[in-house]
Amino acid sequence: MPVQGIRTVAAARNGVGAFILPCKRMDFHYCDWAGSSRGMVSFLKSALPSFAKANPQIEIRVSPRPHKHPVIKGHYINGREKAICVRNLEPEQIFKKANLLKEASGEKLKRTKKPVTSINDSVRGIWSPYHGDIKTV
Amino acid sequence: MKRLQLQRWSSSVLSPRVRTGSRLQHHLYTGLRCQSTFSPVPQAENEPLTHEQPPVSPIPSPNSQKSKYTLPSPPVEAARESAKLAALHARLYLPSRLPLETLARSLVDASADPNSNFNNASLATLGHDLLTYYTSEHLICTYPRLPMAVVFAAMYAYVGPKTLAAMTREWGVEHAATPGGEVDPGFLQFKRIDPGTEIGEGQVNGTTRPNDHRRWRVSMSSRVVYDNEFGEPVQDPTKNDGLPRPLPQGVTAEQASANFVRAVMGSIYLHAGRPAAKRFFEQHFLSRHLSLTELFDFSQPARDLSRLCARESFEPPVAKIISETGRKSRHPVFVVGIYSGEDKLGEGAGASLLEARSRAAVAALKGWYLYSPLNVRVPSSTEEESSAPWKPVHVDLGEVIV
Amino acid sequence: MFARSVLRKALALPFEQTPSSTTLFRATLSTTTSTSTSTSPNPESPLSASPRAQFNNPTHQQHQPPVTPSSAASTPASTPYTTPQTSSHIPTHKQPLAPTFEAPLKVTSSLLELLPHLTAQRAHYITAHVHAKPYLVTAGDHLRLPFLMANVQPGDVIRLNRASVIGSRDFTLKGKPYIDERMFECRARVVGVDSEPMRYKEKTKRRQRHVRTIKSKERYTMLRIMDVKVKTKEELVQEGAVVVEGQDQATLEVKS
Repeated sequence: MPVQGIRTVAAARNGVGAFILPCKRMDFHYCDWAGSSRGMVSFLKSALPSFAKANPQIEIRVSPRPHKHPVIKGHYINGREKAICVRNLEPEQIFKKANLLKEASGEKLKRTKKPVTSINDSVRGIWSPYHGDIKTV
Repeated sequence: MKRLQLQRWSSSVLSPRVRTGSRLQHHLYTGLRCQSTFSPVPQAENEPLTHEQPPVSPIPSPNSQKSKYTLPSPPVEAARESAKLAALHARLYLPSRLPLETLARSLVDASADPNSNFNNASLATLGHDLLTYYTSEHLICTYPRLPMAVVFAAMYAYVGPKTLAAMTREWGVEHAATPGGEVDPGFLQFKRIDPGTEIGEGQVNGTTRPNDHRRWRVSMSSRVVYDNEFGEPVQDPTKNDGLPRPLPQGVTAEQASANFVRAVMGSIYLHAGRPAAKRFFEQHFLSRHLSLTELFDFSQPARDLSRLCARESFEPPVAKIISETGRKSRHPVFVVGIYSGEDKLGEGAGASLLEARSRAAVAALKGWYLYSPLNVRVPSSTEEESSAPWKPVHVDLGEVIV
Repeated sequence: MFARSVLRKALALPFEQTPSSTTLFRATLSTTTSTSTSTSPNPESPLSASPRAQFNNPTHQQHQPPVTPSSAASTPASTPYTTPQTSSHIPTHKQPLAPTFEAPLKVTSSLLELLPHLTAQRAHYITAHVHAKPYLVTAGDHLRLPFLMANVQPGDVIRLNRASVIGSRDFTLKGKPYIDERMFECRARVVGVDSEPMRYKEKTKRRQRHVRTIKSKERYTMLRIMDVKVKTKEELVQEGAVVVEGQDQATLEVKS
């Protein structure tokens, strides 16, 4: 066998070809009785249908959670989830929070300094001290 | 065990508590199914419970809550009510001509529902053929000098079961704990293999290869003929080496996920046509990142290179030191180039002369094997109407034979 | 400086073969204009996350069928719960301008001579400028912009049209200071919005015991570079480039 192949898995690059929205599911929890859910209940009644229609790729679940504050949970394709407590918020604010969950990538928040992350090889190669002439200054 | 509060309240997963009949057996069985978050062990005392499922799916009477429990997979009309399934359809930007029912069917593995009218086996077969065809033509036309072993590895990297399982995760498809008629059709449904079962990964007894029992050395050209597209031996169903090994009852999650992705590909081809399937392939499979230079594994690169130069009637390769530093020190570095006549074929740096030479030979071989022509065209591009006629492309002999 | 323009070419080709579905598709697109800041993620637009820029002829905007089931979703809603999805939500003075060119592209003959070498050598990098900041990217890279881009949704495709350097391993095309945007194509997909962990800063003043803690949490738009492509000599000539002598705006250099 002169040459053998090494088995690997091709790495995913979401967005280069197809784009899959990272948020796959959103859970809306509310309470019928509590006052902190008042905005959430009106959001569920008025705005949620249009939100669901605008984002058909997100599965939406609505479920009561009695005696608890209202919560929106986003589930992401990397297996993580994000939860936002929306107690005492107005429907407009809840809509912003839902949009935030929709646009998030699901990753843990990190402070990064470099703007570009690449898995490609360097186009121009890596500088080597053993090549080229000695430059006179 | 953690209570699944959400599942109980959720409207999208059908709760088993709304079930009408309350026979004890039924209760035990569904209770087991609901509580299990991992693959359940079908024990001997559970056998009479599971025998309630008929082997053949009858056409279920609509709106009958109880008939769902007797089905091995969700009924067809449940696909229209599943939020999970509709979300998956929209997330993948599947064509509207591909109905939700077909997507639901592609989520049912053959181990969950043995009836071939309701499982994805036929779709997966079609999708697998399409995927391997498109991938192989892309690889061979783009890299016409690739050695066959690397072609096998690249095929595995693009459409192998591991990659397809990763894609299933990236598409946000979740696995059902146990298949059944009451499960949401948006889950991937398959029967898991029992814990502790030996998974014969790559071990096949009885292949389609003639004289298999003699254990002859397997050459690469015979692997092209007899093995599958990933270079693995193919199990012959008629031969089993005399060992009465029972067929495994379930499949692994990886196999089921791979079958699901293949079935989606097949159903796009059937419902939306060839251009759509091709575009789906390009967007989801070819857009993945694979560095082909990392798939090579040379054992004796210098020997291979000299054989290659002899085959292509180049001048025999000569290794020359380009530069060096610290020959007597603890960390010497030699930069060695391999020349064939005046042309430099490759170059490598290493801590010893031999290491640098073999790296230079690897660089030269990769430079030869990874040649790619400029305007690549694949044979399937002629399938569209009003496309230019096919011009044969150059495909090289392949690797050197030592 | 940053400008966005629409994809004129089909990234993901339109899907229709039957004329009936084509008309339906156009109807869904008719609410969008050429400003690229909209998505219509419905199953009607299959296999492409950004199907809108396909039929952006102004003629289609003139006659608008009033109600189709899918265009009802993207009509401007009066509720305050909507982010701007179509250009009708955005005031006219804030909409990005389509690029207008007074003069055809001028390239020197020396550049045209060397250009095939650059286009033939694969793996290009580009130094794209967004808001005057340079980002050296290759195709497939992940780019986190240091700001939150307005009026974009995840899945949108934008075209980076300002670049100072495009190069391959041995060749470099340098602009003075920028390369004309008709010489290359660089597309990026909006992947989502990221944010950093909350940062706390304690503000103190001299001889005061009061310590004020301020919090901030910036949000960033994430992009994925879809392709980096230098147009070939034939494409440039076909698109109306004029060959001139003398000093050009861009120069092509060979690595020594």
